[in-house]
Amino acid sequence: MLRAISRSHTPVIRLLAPQSEVLVQTVRGRKSRTDPKAKSKIGRIKTPPPVDPVEMVVLKERFTEYNLITRALRLEFKEEMLRKRFEEEVGSLAEERAKQEAEEHRSLMAWNDAENLRLRKIREQRMQRETEAKEQRQREAAVLRQQELENYIKEKEREILQLQEEAKNFITLDNLDQRIEEALDNPKNYNFAIDKEGRVVKRTAFQ
Amino acid sequence: PMKGRFPIRRTLEYLQKGEVVFKNSVKIMTVNYNTHGDLSEGARKFVFFNIPQIQYKNPWVQIMMFKNMTPSPFLRFYLGDGEQVLVDVEGKDYKEITQHVKKILGKSDKVLEAEALAKMELSNPANFGPKKYFLRECMSEVEGQVPHPGFVPLPKEMTGKYRAKLAAVSDD
Repeated sequence: MLRAISRSHTPVIRLLAPQSEVLVQTVRGRKSRTDPKAKSKIGRIKTPPPVDPVEMVVLKERFTEYNLITRALRLEFKEEMLRKRFEEEVGSLAEERAKQEAEEHRSLMAWNDAENLRLRKIREQRMQRETEAKEQRQREAAVLRQQELENYIKEKEREILQLQEEAKNFITLDNLDQRIEEALDNPKNYNFAIDKEGRVVKRTAFQ
Repeated sequence: PMKGRFPIRRTLEYLQKGEVVFKNSVKIMTVNYNTHGDLSEGARKFVFFNIPQIQYKNPWVQIMMFKNMTPSPFLRFYLGDGEQVLVDVEGKDYKEITQHVKKILGKSDKVLEAEALAKMELSNPANFGPKKYFLRECMSEVEGQVPHPGFVPLPKEMTGKYRAKLAAVSDD
């Protein structure tokens, strides 16, 4: 009867239930939508437990008061948490801490800059030394090259002079007959003897 | 045995021993060094040994290496507010470099301890709940307490039906 009366879509249990109690959702349990009702339960009419109106009124009052108090407490605690967090992030202490951090940061940066400067000085000195060494080596190399060139030229000159000297003894078409005559007149003996000790003897008999 | 030249660099123990934890303002770290040369020896060792530790401890910091771009090695840090910090590491030892970096841009030991303490405060070991967030779900999981009847049957005297039977018998 009650189900026929209530036209709204809320389940009956929601209307009948007292205002402040927790609701349980309808649970399917073991059977699915299409399973038929059990034979022992066909004629069963489920009635909710009877409610005593006086008791209900009293309970409702007490529950509203209780809920009021617990909600108030909860919100109080939440507010306290939020305030703490706010203080932590955007409070006077936080500003001081931020300032201190900035100060420390600046001092550390200054120290770092000092280190960089020191290293730069060392590097510049090293660069200077290296350029000087390079210059030195270049000059030495140039000198060496110069020396080499001079040596080469001298060598060549010496050879030319030697050649000139030898040219006096060359056999040309003019001297040809003369030199042949001379060669035939003075036979040269190229033979020599050597013993096991290595003593060379050039005075051998001519054949 | 493990693969690679110094596979110890890949072990968790080694990584967790990293000293340098950057401040929140450091976003990007750039290392310029040379692959040959005596001066960047320290920088090379730093990159080889300490960069994995730093990246492990600071997963949100982008670290980039540039090789053979400049004649001398250096580190460059880009902070959140646009500030750039240049650190010259020419001729320095890799240990010196880590100490230097820790001094200028690392969180100090005190700050780290405070952070660890705050993190511990969040997770109270006395709380019970899902295994994902808490140590234990039910008191029966603690040693020395009454175990869950699903694993070990309760002694007769503790079961409800025995007690009900006793009560019924004593009433009669």
